[in-house]
Amino acid sequence: MSRILLVAAREFRQIAATRSFWLTLLILPLAFAIGPLASRFMDRSETTRVMLIDRTGGQTAQAIARRLKLDDDRRVLVALSRYVDRHHLEAADPGATWARHDRWYTDEEVARFAATGGVSGALAAIRRIKPAEVPDFVAPEPDYALVPVPPAIAAAPAARLDALLRPLLRPDGKAEPLDYALLVPAEFGRAPLVRLWSNGQPSADFVQPVQQVLGRELQSRYLAASGVAPATARAAAMLTPAIAVQTPTRDSVRQRTLIRSILPLASAYILLMSLILSGSWMLQGSVEERSNKLIEAMLACVSPDELMYGKLVGTVAIGLSMVATWAACGLFAAYATHGAIADMIRPALEPVSSVGAIATILYFFVLGYVMVAMIFLAIGATAESMRDAQGYLTPVLLIIMVPVTVLVQAVLRGSEGVGVQVLTWIPIYTPFAILARLGTGVPTWQVLGAGALLAAFVALEMVALGRVFRASLLASGGRPSLSALSRMMRRPA
Amino acid sequence: MNHSLRLDGVVKRFGDRTAVDGLSFAVPPGEVFGFLGGNGAGKTTSLRMVLDIIRPDAGSIEVLGHAPGREVGRRLGFLPEERGLYRSMTALDTVVYFGRLKGMSAVDARVRARALLDRFGLSANLKTNVDKLSKGMAQKVQLATAVVNAPDLLILDEPFSGLDPVNQGLLEDEITGAARGGAAVVFSTHVMQHAERLCDRLLLLAHGAKLFDGTQDEARAMLPARLELVARTDPAGLDGVESTAAQGDAGDGWTRWRVELSPGRDPGDLLQQCTARGVPLRRFEQHRPGLHDVFISIVGSAEVRS
Repeated sequence: MSRILLVAAREFRQIAATRSFWLTLLILPLAFAIGPLASRFMDRSETTRVMLIDRTGGQTAQAIARRLKLDDDRRVLVALSRYVDRHHLEAADPGATWARHDRWYTDEEVARFAATGGVSGALAAIRRIKPAEVPDFVAPEPDYALVPVPPAIAAAPAARLDALLRPLLRPDGKAEPLDYALLVPAEFGRAPLVRLWSNGQPSADFVQPVQQVLGRELQSRYLAASGVAPATARAAAMLTPAIAVQTPTRDSVRQRTLIRSILPLASAYILLMSLILSGSWMLQGSVEERSNKLIEAMLACVSPDELMYGKLVGTVAIGLSMVATWAACGLFAAYATHGAIADMIRPALEPVSSVGAIATILYFFVLGYVMVAMIFLAIGATAESMRDAQGYLTPVLLIIMVPVTVLVQAVLRGSEGVGVQVLTWIPIYTPFAILARLGTGVPTWQVLGAGALLAAFVALEMVALGRVFRASLLASGGRPSLSALSRMMRRPA
Repeated sequence: MNHSLRLDGVVKRFGDRTAVDGLSFAVPPGEVFGFLGGNGAGKTTSLRMVLDIIRPDAGSIEVLGHAPGREVGRRLGFLPEERGLYRSMTALDTVVYFGRLKGMSAVDARVRARALLDRFGLSANLKTNVDKLSKGMAQKVQLATAVVNAPDLLILDEPFSGLDPVNQGLLEDEITGAARGGAAVVFSTHVMQHAERLCDRLLLLAHGAKLFDGTQDEARAMLPARLELVARTDPAGLDGVESTAAQGDAGDGWTRWRVELSPGRDPGDLLQQCTARGVPLRRFEQHRPGLHDVFISIVGSAEVRS
């Protein structure tokens, strides 16, 4: 085994043996795995228990109940539509509402879905064509459950309701609390006041639909009181602007661009993140021989170039192994699992499956990593200790990170302005810019030109920073000044 | 004659300062060669050039019949003055790693490393991380990294500095063992006792220039021989006597004399003269100058001159 590989293998093993490496390695897959679970826990997972006390005769409570049921049905329909899309089950009933995706379902469509059998009707049709390996659809639990009004509360005067409802809203022991109690008083219509009891801060998700239903009721009564025929008044209150919701089709240019951009943008972010996470390992690797007084013993066995390339290969290999593990986890999540992450990754992978696209991403990713790793190695080689080196890590990372973050945001917004163009041609930002822009379509000449520029810069960096590395190995007397660094770069050691 | 190491007119400058100035010497196999000089004399710079860590500005170096380089490094062992180890590696892995860097196969390096660490009393600590070892144990591991490849040329830069007495003994055994096995051993030091005990030949260096190169006896011969005589008359008139000084009455008309011979004169010649001329003597005691005296005399006067 060549001495470069021996140095690289030791470097690799040393970093791989640290706890920080494994934490860093697992951080992204864990975030992906925990993300959906966390969001499930963070979502409102408990059904909201609502008591409607209607003293106007019951029609208002019925209208609110219908509205809450409609919202629940819409959530089920959206979930079903996503399930059908994910498993390509549209053929079960191409004309069905749930077979049309990527759109906001109107009240009428939701009502039609419920009227045609709802989930059970849809699943009966789906079952006929569903392959065995496709998991069953699990409907989300309803958001709202109506709690019957106890006779004591139904008959109680309004003034006593506070006392009667308090034990229901804040029950002792393990009894399930009531989330909301809504009193629609008998005089509602003549006076607009309704009363809402809540066991916490009322949610807009609940208040807005209730307000909408009650508003329509008030408008209807107002019009009727103004002499408008009751049927006309009711119809007028139901008038809502007919907003034709035009959701982009799956093949629209913008969506296609967005999907194509996911992987390149993710590559740019992952490149940045892996450099941030592994920067201290690289510094540790290059400062180790000096800080542990090993440098002379090492240089008696290996040349400075072998030591430098060994360290570079070792640290780049460990960083790329980490990224490869993340990519493997992503692929596993995309093709071996079902869920939101799979839904996101799978379509993102499809448009960049060509050899050219993959080669371009790999080229800029690997060269970008090598370019920054070389900077870290040179910093480490000129530092006396890890503490000394750490002081330079953050500024260097910030110099890279801030423009890259701005760049990625600009690309996400679809802006390809002068800033993005300029950053493409500044070598330390080139890999990030090209990766981020790949999804939006970078002209071939720019990809080739930027690739050549990056290769030339890395070659120059190898020569210049290699000289700094070599000259710094046996130097003493603290960190070299900028002019000393410049001299080192210009003169072979 | 084959030499393990030969330097010929080697010069190394750092800016305006000449660190090594026309240095020439040769070390044959099986010899322990002391490289003596004060701080800043050019010892470490010379050794670094031998190891190809830095390159000379002029002159030539031949290591085991080749130009310095990592290929010949497979047959070299080196223990630097500044010693350290990878803190998170085990003792065994450290020695194996250096063995592999010196071109040994993984199996050979492991076998040899185990044997060495066992010999150094570290068999119970093979799998212990270096940062968990005591300082003395770490010193043994460092020594093992230098000799793991059974080198033909062993170079030790101030090897005894910082060593505890046990490890000093261990190192002396390794040096003499390596020389007996046919290896040339070059070590730099400014502790004369070690050089006196171990060196077959030595080189004195000051300001990068060679002041002396030869055996210990030859070095001592550079200083005037000193004698302690008890005689009835002043031996100043004898041939080869540089100076005499009466040291006191020895009773019955006898006097104690301190006598210094001219450089290069043999005390035996003086004794012969006394016998031939009938100069009565009750005591004839020769004081052999130590390497320390030689060092102070030669290097010290060079320092004063500079």
